[in-house]
Amino acid sequence: MFSNTLFLASALLTIGGAIAVVYSKNLMHACIYLLASLFGVAGLYACIGADFLAATQLVVYAGGVVILMLFAIMLTGGTSNKINRYGLEKIPAMGNKKTFFTAGFAALVSAMIIIKILLPVFSVNKVTTLSANESSVEKIGTLLATDHILAFEISSVLLLGALIGAAVISRPRKEIHD
Amino acid sequence: MNSTVVSYFSQSNELTSLIAGLSKLLGFDASSLVAFIIFAIFAGIIVAVMATIGGLGTYAERKISADLQARIGPNRVGPFGLLQFLADGVKMILKEDIITSNADKFTFNLAPVLCLVGVFATLAVVPYSSGFMLADLNVGIFYLVGMASLVGVGVFLGGYASNSKWSMLGGMRGASQIISYEIPATLSIIAIVLLAGGLSMKTLINGQGGAPQDWYLFHNPFAFMGFFVYFISALAETNRAPFDLPEAESELVSGYHTEYTGMKFGLFALAEYIEVFVVCGVAVALFLGGYKVPFDLGSGQILVEKLGLDGMIAQNIGQFLELGSFFTKTLILYYVVIWVRWTLPRLRVDQLMTLCWKYLTPIALFNLIGCAVWMYAFNGKSIFTLLFHAAASGGGHH
Amino acid sequence: MSTLNLDVYMPVVILIALALLVAGGSLFLGSLIRPQHPNKLKDTAYECGEEPVGTAWANFNVRFYVIALIFIIFDVESALMFPVAAVFKRFNEIGLGGTLLMSILTFTLVLVAGIVYCWKKGDLDWVKSFNQTNQPTIARKE
Repeated sequence: MFSNTLFLASALLTIGGAIAVVYSKNLMHACIYLLASLFGVAGLYACIGADFLAATQLVVYAGGVVILMLFAIMLTGGTSNKINRYGLEKIPAMGNKKTFFTAGFAALVSAMIIIKILLPVFSVNKVTTLSANESSVEKIGTLLATDHILAFEISSVLLLGALIGAAVISRPRKEIHD
Repeated sequence: MNSTVVSYFSQSNELTSLIAGLSKLLGFDASSLVAFIIFAIFAGIIVAVMATIGGLGTYAERKISADLQARIGPNRVGPFGLLQFLADGVKMILKEDIITSNADKFTFNLAPVLCLVGVFATLAVVPYSSGFMLADLNVGIFYLVGMASLVGVGVFLGGYASNSKWSMLGGMRGASQIISYEIPATLSIIAIVLLAGGLSMKTLINGQGGAPQDWYLFHNPFAFMGFFVYFISALAETNRAPFDLPEAESELVSGYHTEYTGMKFGLFALAEYIEVFVVCGVAVALFLGGYKVPFDLGSGQILVEKLGLDGMIAQNIGQFLELGSFFTKTLILYYVVIWVRWTLPRLRVDQLMTLCWKYLTPIALFNLIGCAVWMYAFNGKSIFTLLFHAAASGGGHH
Repeated sequence: MSTLNLDVYMPVVILIALALLVAGGSLFLGSLIRPQHPNKLKDTAYECGEEPVGTAWANFNVRFYVIALIFIIFDVESALMFPVAAVFKRFNEIGLGGTLLMSILTFTLVLVAGIVYCWKKGDLDWVKSFNQTNQPTIARKE
């Protein structure tokens, strides 16, 4: 009963947040609704027993990426004027009701097709659920340390690349004055 | 199930009979419902206790700062001025709630709520005692780190929403301070996770004992340094002086909460004081042995053997001893936090960032590597075990 | 799903609900009792007694963004380190501690290299240390 409530609340938060992001006309508000949506996704992860993934979602996304996006919006002045210097709308409207309806319908149809294709896969390989006490952290840690050690190390190199790339891009260019 | 309040009380016969009775009455298995009721009652108790501690924290701050400055502090409201925080709370509710005309109303109202939600959500995993923990999540400490970063979002939104120069600057600085200092804190936590072998708070505390030589603080020199790195980083994360630049009175008027009046400001302040308590509690749990009582009194076994008490009553006494141990250690750290605020001058913002990225983060990384090497080299034994057990077994120790 | 017990998340949900209740309740309670007399002067932003000038945010301070980027990288690194650190003790007892130690060291040292790079290139400096053309721009009066 509680698992149903938790699932319902998380799903509503995710979908409601996502719809609000698309609908909102203010970029800052859209970021806040995105935060709510990511919270909902963390709740969904908790519902299926992936507790470490839920915590990672909270730490990295809700605590990190959202702040990064907020900083980026602040620094690029996305909130001040709605019209840029060429007279065009900075955040153009996503469309009218027809666009929303068509997009939603297309998403639904593609979701149904994908689920129908993947259903045999899932019914053959049953997802093993964890018993109540067992923790997914130990499993993930063991796998990262044994089977997927290369992925672990490569991810550190990937993070290094991202760090250097980000530093290079955001470094102000030195202008040469005569 | 991991041990929580519910599983602790399930050991008693009264609760099992209550559940059986309710199940017969309602027709479905009532254990979940009873669990919910117990959780709700205890969550309410913890919120009330924490709000009181937060309020008493403001009182303690004023009294201790008065003591350090050779004056008396509040002594009018109630005996020794103890009810001052209630008077302050009533005052804040009664103040007019002004939202400036330029402010972004939705975000303005959301920011203090976000701070409060972040702090209250961390209360779920703080280990008050072995039986009275609300939720012993398997990813306890990691979840706590995540929820504490929600406060940073709240600070930033508070600064942005006010749409005033002081608030914006204070909000940006506050958010960047909070996120920067999360890194040394998280790295110090990872060093302790290495020693303990798990992420849940129970595992972290069970790796320690009651007596000081069993604490992780004295386990190896890297963990010792790690405690100070964690304490400083956590202090900076809660925007406490000497890191309180986002709310610096002399520079930014009041930083990100300049434009907040009345109860919304009260919510920010409440969130800050409760967060200080949580951070001290986590430091106690990770480094100072948590709720463990010396001589293993907390489990109640000794009481059963020596005094012949009933099992459940002995356990209850043990739980209260553990609660006392936890709160004593945390309140001592809380006193140190207040003491530090009124002793040290405020850091400039560039000194703040330099301290984090150029000093604390390299030290924290060094601690992490050191702890890992120590674990491998000495098979996880603490420095006391190595010294005294090596001497006891007759082997020559240099 | 029969063996999955989600009751452990109940306190989290209860506490979040309590936080919203406390915040909303106290604000609502206050709205019943407190005065509400808005006037034009009270509603302007505080600027030490002067009239507020210009928009609130005019500087392009890229250093905030750089700090946030570096933070994200290290945050993801710590999120990856947590599960490996959690099993390190068990691996140590089995005897595989050495190899895991090597992996942890490699992982950490790669990121130490990253922070050394940022340090040397001056990304961690809060105060810009290069020439005048890169001072933050002043707000343009429209």
